[in-house]
This record gives sequence, structure tokens and C-alpha cells, in this order.
Amino acid sequence: MSIIIISSDSEEIEEIIAEKVAVAMDYNRLGSQILTDVAANYQIDPVKLSEALETTPSVFKNMPSRHWRHYLSCIEAEVFDRLLKDNIVCWGLSAHLFVTGISHVMKVRLLSGGGRNIGKIAEQKGITVGRAEKLIADELRQHKKWSLTAYNLDETDPSQYDLVINLEQIDPTEAAITITNAVEYRKFQPMTYSIKCLSNLALAAKVNARLLESMVNIKVQARDSSVVVLTKASNRQKRKKIAAIKELAGDIEGVSYVEVHVKKNILTDATENPY
Amino acid sequence: MSIITISRGSYSMGKTVAEKVAERLHYDIISREVLLDASSRFNVSEIKLKKAIHDAPGILERYSHNKQSYIAYIRSALVERIINDNVVYHGLAGHLLLKGIPHVLKVRVNSDLERRIAIVMERDRIPAQEARALILEDDKQRRKWTHSLYGQDPWDTSLYDISICIDKLTIENAVDFICLAVESKEFRLTEKNKQKAKDMAVACRIKAALVDEYPNIGVTCEYGNVLIYMKGKDQMTGKLTKKLNHIRENTNGIHHLETHAGIEPPPEAV
Repeated sequence: MSIIIISSDSEEIEEIIAEKVAVAMDYNRLGSQILTDVAANYQIDPVKLSEALETTPSVFKNMPSRHWRHYLSCIEAEVFDRLLKDNIVCWGLSAHLFVTGISHVMKVRLLSGGGRNIGKIAEQKGITVGRAEKLIADELRQHKKWSLTAYNLDETDPSQYDLVINLEQIDPTEAAITITNAVEYRKFQPMTYSIKCLSNLALAAKVNARLLESMVNIKVQARDSSVVVLTKASNRQKRKKIAAIKELAGDIEGVSYVEVHVKKNILTDATENPY
Repeated sequence: MSIITISRGSYSMGKTVAEKVAERLHYDIISREVLLDASSRFNVSEIKLKKAIHDAPGILERYSHNKQSYIAYIRSALVERIINDNVVYHGLAGHLLLKGIPHVLKVRVNSDLERRIAIVMERDRIPAQEARALILEDDKQRRKWTHSLYGQDPWDTSLYDISICIDKLTIENAVDFICLAVESKEFRLTEKNKQKAKDMAVACRIKAALVDEYPNIGVTCEYGNVLIYMKGKDQMTGKLTKKLNHIRENTNGIHHLETHAGIEPPPEAV
């Protein structure tokens, strides 16, 4: 009765192990296939969602920061919503970076080691082995940069995970057995408090996704049905922004009270009020 | 029938994990013994050896090559110890010193920084700030050491087969993981792996015998055939020939010995 989040330096490995664990435990799967549902729920192009999970914002890539944050928030909201159902193996959605502080979530990192067949990649792409190696190294560097930009966390840092398994010498089946054994441990069993924490995060993510649709500089915390929103605004915009946040957040199912804390936005103040 | 190295940050419970693994698997446990062996075999004080394997080289040490010699001694002593298999080593840098032996299960044990601070506070009766500074300085030294000698970061998970975080997972859980992993066929002792360990021991013995005078040499050994790679300027001299003859006569397991001058040693060379 737990949640397992699998992250890897290779998508292929991530999927193989997640599948093995899901079969062994008879758990539900939560992978990138949910992006089509996210796209439908939030009326976003699914291609943009996949892109947001891979690239950092850039005007040259037609992915402004504001949209990028919104796309990620929609994915987060959907993931949290599904994680509430428990008994899930999740992968490919960077959930290891945003599902934090929940004791019944086990986070595992898998390192492909020799499992990533460079020769095969070189053949598929029609490039030399040296070029394929460089391509993989660039890909890893880019993903590390992405995790730092999106969540200010380095996804290669072992302290982010309960367990890191290098598949250079360990067989994937054995890695899957290790994970299934570990998840049985008492510490990963859901408790009233950890379930409560997860539902708080789920509610906060839902509010965040709604607000980021039309606003920037939003941080949301939730406790039971009360929501606290932290934002930035100039003196002139303050009242209007508070009212808009209260209206938007108050409409969301499960929210009974909204509190808004506004930090002064010095930059917009300076442009709006020269005196 | 395997070899397990357990690397850890200071106060990360790695020692306790190592002791429990050794107890459960009925393996020998070694750590400081390696330094004592090296100390008596090569006539160097244990303190100097400990410093060499713990602290990053200072500016002057980078030119004196003493550290390289001490590490070659420690490596040789460690390989001699593990050659008989069924060993848990929880001293420093095991994963790097035993690189090249296939049936070594390399484990990293991490622990939450706050938990480590609490341990130091209780043990040394010092305030949290001091304990934090002590741990961070220790981590920094280990990072610098590995970086200066091997160009790698000890926190890089790709250096290990398993990294376990003692936080939600307990010491007992970590022991379970390690005992399960070591059962994998990849870590079982085969004739080929045994030979590799023997060859490594021969290469380490030769390196330790030559490192004082020739700090930049690289040594490989395959089925007793030894290749010594040296820089151009270290070319064969009468002194070296004499030394090599002495090594050949006094080292078991050498079938053939050859020197290659002016050739870059391969990455697997010790």
C-alpha cells in the first residue's frame, strides 16, 4: 500500500523497471501516458507538455517561462490527484522532484551504466560511437539543468532518493526485486499523517495550476481546506490581484478558505509610480 | 563468496552497516587493519598513511609524490587482504582502490546531514554549529582527496552499485539490500575473477616496490604477464634493471615482465 517513484538517466530503463515492479506488486502505473489526459483537462497541446518536461524555458524555443511554469503545474496537479489513490508506480513525470515530504513515497534512482547501449544508439541515429557518447552526456547535463531550474533540486544528488541502484552489474530483475522488497518496509506504509500531507499537496497543486493559468509569481500552501497563496504585486495592483486570487482559488473543489499574502513588487512599483 | 566495499560520509552509520553485513554473511571485516599491514610492510607510520588517504594533498605534497607512494602501499595491502574473498571493507576509498576487480560490490551509505550532526553533538558534546562545521569540513576533504587523485566526486552515484540513504530506510534495511545484492551472479567468485584479483595483487606489489623512485609508472598484469609503463625520461637504467630483476625474483605470480617507456599507461593500470 505505497507509492514508488522511479527516476533514471535512461527513459527505457525507467519504463522497464517500473513495469516489472508494477507487475510484481500488482500496482497501478503512472507514466507519461497521462499527458494526454492533462492536455484534455487543461486544454493544452500535449506536445507542449512533453516539451515542458524536457526543456528549460526559452523564447527561442517558443516556451516562455510563464507558460512553462503553467504546463508543469498542470502535470503536478494531475500527478498528485492520481497519487491519492495509492498503490502506484510512477515514472517519467519528474514526480521525484515535486512529491516531497511524504513518508509513504519511496524514491528510487536507477543508473543505466552499461545498460545503455551506446552502440545501439549510434546505429539508430546513424552517428559514431564517440558522438553518441557525447549526445548522452549532453542529455544528462541538460536534464540536470532542467531539474535545477524547475525545482531547484539536482536530480543526480543521491540524497534525493531512498535507494540508488546502478545497473552496470546488477540485473534489472534483481533491481526490481530489491525495490519490491523495500516497499514492504514499515516506513513506506501510508499513515494518516502522510496521507493528509499528500492531500494537502494535491490541493495546493490544483490551486497553483489554476492561478498560474493567468498569473505569475505564485506559491501555494494548503492545510486541510485552507489555502495560503503567496504572490507579488505593486501597490496599485494589490487589491485587484487579491480579489482575483480569492475568486479563482475559492472556486476549486475542496477549498473553503483562501488567504493571500502579497509581497511588494519593487520593479513594477518603480515603473508605475515614478515619485 | 564476494567482496563488499562500503563507502560512507563520516557519521553516516556505514560502520554499523558494515559490521552487521559481515556478521550476517560470516565475512571478515577490515578497515584500519589495512593501514597497519601497509605500515609494517613498508615501514611508514600509520598516521602518515591515514593522513594520505584522508586529507587532500597540499600544495607541496603535489610535488613530493609522498602521497602517491602511501596510496600505492595502502592499495597493495588492501588487495592482499581481499584476495582470499569473503570480506567487507569499510575503510576509505575502497571503491576506487579495488577498481578493476569485477566481483566487488560497491556500496555507498548516505545519511541525512541533520542526523549526522546530532550524532557528532552527542558524541563530542559540542554545539550544533560546531558539529555541522566539522562534518562539512570532513566531507570537503574527502571530496578534494578523491578529486585530486582520481578526478571523481565520492558523491557520484555512478561509482557505486548501490547507494542507500539511511533516513526512511533503517540500518537493518540497508543490510538486507546489501546481502541480497551480493547474491547476484555478477558478484560471485569465478575462476576468471579470482585470476583478476591475483593479477591486481601482483601489479600492486610491483607498483608499491617502484613508486618511490618512479611515481608516474603504471603497471598492468594479465595472467602473470606484467607490463610496466613509464615516462620517456624514466627509461631503462642499470638501476631500474637491477630493481626489476629483484622484483622478478622475489614476487610470486610473475611469468613475464616487460617495460614500455614513453607510452601512456592504459586506464586499468595501477
